[in-house]
Amino acid sequence: MNRRRSIPSSLLLKPSRAQRAGRAALILLALLFLAGFLILPVVAVFTQALSQGWTIYRNSVVQQDVLSALRLTCLVAAIAVPLNVLFGIAASWAITRFDFPGKSLLITMIDIPLSVSPVVAGMMYVEVFGLHGWLGPWLMAHNLHIIFAVPGIVLATVFVTCPFVARELIPFMQAQGSDEEIAAVVLGANGWNLFWRVTLPNIKWALLYGTILAASRSIGEFGAVSVVSGHIRGQTTTLPLQVEMLYNEYNFTAAFAAASLLTLAAIVTLGIKKALEGPASGDQMETEEEKGAS
Amino acid sequence: MSIQVEQVRKQYGSFNALAGVSLTIASGELMALLGPSGSGKTTLLRIIAGLESPDDGSILLHGEESTRHSAAKRGIGFVFQHYALFRHMTIFENVAFGLRVQPRSLRPSRQKISERVCELLRLVQLDTYAQMYPEQLSGGQRQRVALARALAVQPKVLLLDEPFSALDAKVRKELRDWLRRIHDELHVTTVLVTHDQEEALEVADRVAILNQGKLEQIGTPQSIYDCPASPFVYNFLGNVNLFHGRLLADLSSLGRDGNVESAGSAIGFVRPHELELSRKHPVDVKAVAASVVRIHATGPQIRLELSIAGILKPVAAELGRKQFEALALVPGDDIFVWPQSIRLFDDPATTSLLLDQGAGI
Repeated sequence: MNRRRSIPSSLLLKPSRAQRAGRAALILLALLFLAGFLILPVVAVFTQALSQGWTIYRNSVVQQDVLSALRLTCLVAAIAVPLNVLFGIAASWAITRFDFPGKSLLITMIDIPLSVSPVVAGMMYVEVFGLHGWLGPWLMAHNLHIIFAVPGIVLATVFVTCPFVARELIPFMQAQGSDEEIAAVVLGANGWNLFWRVTLPNIKWALLYGTILAASRSIGEFGAVSVVSGHIRGQTTTLPLQVEMLYNEYNFTAAFAAASLLTLAAIVTLGIKKALEGPASGDQMETEEEKGAS
Repeated sequence: MSIQVEQVRKQYGSFNALAGVSLTIASGELMALLGPSGSGKTTLLRIIAGLESPDDGSILLHGEESTRHSAAKRGIGFVFQHYALFRHMTIFENVAFGLRVQPRSLRPSRQKISERVCELLRLVQLDTYAQMYPEQLSGGQRQRVALARALAVQPKVLLLDEPFSALDAKVRKELRDWLRRIHDELHVTTVLVTHDQEEALEVADRVAILNQGKLEQIGTPQSIYDCPASPFVYNFLGNVNLFHGRLLADLSSLGRDGNVESAGSAIGFVRPHELELSRKHPVDVKAVAASVVRIHATGPQIRLELSIAGILKPVAAELGRKQFEALALVPGDDIFVWPQSIRLFDDPATTSLLLDQGAGI
């Protein structure tokens, strides 16, 4: 990497005028696209939210319904993300460190939530836990509410986000190999020591990265949650659902105010992700370079 | 601690990695497992370590049946080909790891751990690197750290899996000598896996040669080099000239050792330094005429390539500088050549050709 960087630019071929023009055109096109399709809408969200002044915006945000939607969203994320981390670590450990029958099936299954439409995911839960579903009558008899209640929202979110951590970890752990872990076992480390002292420190960046992706998805999930939530205002609406409800009621300022919260959350997670990418990818490249050199 | 390997078998799918290997490694011995890739040497080492379990057979450590014991329980130190250092820990922490993860009742105090690590780092001459990370060290230094880490838990057996093969030739030689010195100091039973015959012959007390999952020969480096038990071992250890031929005379008249049962097809092995050269035909032995094709005159031994009528491949000969100067050879010279000794084996291939006078030379 350093070597490549240290080549003086004068040694590289000078681009011709036509090449330079082409390059400028490409960059311009990319920037225009970004501005038109990404930056402008984000700006529009905030403009619309603040269009009637800061006070109205503030009032729209601190509305009882919006606050309870925000609380529910945070609760769902607080349950779904740790579950996701547990599942992700367990699945990627099993897949990269052991051979077992059904391994390729497991790898394929992890991808199902990514390939299936979230609406379908929601409907599957309705089919299983709903009033007329397989477990419906039994749940009813025991006075357990899953569909149109918080547990259903959590389940749907867990389903939709479950590949994120595993998807990040599996290729990373495959590339890293298990030599260090075998060395630790030979040195007498038990499972606990092995995980906390060797495995976790090695995968921490990839794990954090996957966690952030899972968090931002669980905050923003709409389709699956929409099916199972029942849209009970103040009780089973998450922030994305709240935005939709306000919008359908032509309460644009309030809708955009709530949307701006989601957008902010997305920007913050992207920022954290960007900050984490720095050290993580840097490490990776160095070790690869080391390997190449030795 | 002694190691006994008894009739160990291991199969991967249809590949027979170990086909019933038995050997005994004495306490305090340095044994090399030598063989080409796919010979089963690494599999055997991993089975001794407890990283793999054999399909059949058993491992006895110090006379105690240990086949089902976990790697951790066997009290071994393992050094990997690619070091396998903990990349997120300093050199100090790497070496301290084995001590830190011991159960509380056995774990030495912080002070003791620190002393032991410093002592080991001095042993591997890396005490000034304690606070560095593995990626800041060269390959040779990393492997020394790996060795210190393995020794930290005071293993009764030290197992090394091609420890020097990822290093360049000069470092490899240095580390080899250094490993031998450490072994002489600590006297820990050591098993070294290598595909480098020079490394095995130079470092080990005894060498076990494996081929296709079977033990070909076991013995001291000298006995193996001087008396290879099979054509494979002969070929594997150093340069050799191979002659296909038919025995015309019976063996007693040859007066030389060999494994040939009767007259018939045979292959003969002669090492380059075992060939005698002379400008004149010797009086008491049969010699064949050859011509000098090429001369490599660097180093203490002069290497010659000879061509002999009826033999397709050039024949290699080696002689000392003095003798070479006395003969004053130049390429193209005609010369007489005969072997001081030749080892004969039954020819497995029926298509033996060349040199009908094979037994004669």
